[in-house]
Amino acid sequence: MKKKKAAALIIAGVVFLVLLLASSWYSVTFNESRLVVPINLSEYTFRMKDLPMICSVSLFCLYIIYLSVLLIKAILKNKMGENSMKYTRNLNPKLGYLGFLGFAGFLGFWTYHLNQNFSAFVFFLFFGFFGFYYEGRMSNTLMDERYKENRLKATVKSYQISTAIIFLALIILGQGRAMISLDFTLIAFVVVVTLALALQLFLSQYLLYCYDHSEPSEESEE
Amino acid sequence: MPDFECRLKKFRQLKDMTQEQLAAQVGVRRETIMRLEKAQYNPSLKLAIDISRAVDAPIEEIFIFE
Repeated sequence: MKKKKAAALIIAGVVFLVLLLASSWYSVTFNESRLVVPINLSEYTFRMKDLPMICSVSLFCLYIIYLSVLLIKAILKNKMGENSMKYTRNLNPKLGYLGFLGFAGFLGFWTYHLNQNFSAFVFFLFFGFFGFYYEGRMSNTLMDERYKENRLKATVKSYQISTAIIFLALIILGQGRAMISLDFTLIAFVVVVTLALALQLFLSQYLLYCYDHSEPSEESEE
Repeated sequence: MPDFECRLKKFRQLKDMTQEQLAAQVGVRRETIMRLEKAQYNPSLKLAIDISRAVDAPIEEIFIFE
């Protein structure tokens, strides 16, 4: 993406956000907080004072949809270009520190205690970002046939392990006897599945690095 | 571990090539050539043919399967 386009997108995002905040303030101050606090849509009747809020929310939603379309297009473009790529992507191994974001998953205990919401447990998925460390260490590596073979082997092995964990969790927790209540069973299941997926993300990179670096008994150049 | 004997090192040295040069010629990494010479990697048919052409030796003389 060109710098000008990226700057325009950021500016547009900031403008739409400011508009949203301003219309929320207007609604709270002059319109009895309509459309800011939850309302029953079946009893909703339009007022002219609702217009700023409706416009700003619509603009913000359109902006988010546009960003999502751009993201999907970029992902598809990368996937198509992957086959013709000869070298692995350049990545800083320090990005592996993003894996520490996985500890945010513990927020789930707090949110569950607060309002029985356990969606924060999915943040455990970020533990998978530790794999960036190994991907970074293999930056700019020529993807020859041995690399591709090792990548396939690592991916299959990581999927095998994570699928086995999920399968075991399904059998054990699915019986519903392992935990005190259904809520705890569901929480345990979400945690296990999320951690298994994070493990898959991490292992696919870690095993690839191991397969690629641990095979030779001695390195020599003659 | 592949079960074969690899005489690539001998043929490569006869052609006075380094692992790096051979790797560049056949489009793989030096580490791959290193593992091939130690018979620790079983190459694809395409790579075997490329190597055979690069070192001017028949495939069956480079890779010997019992």
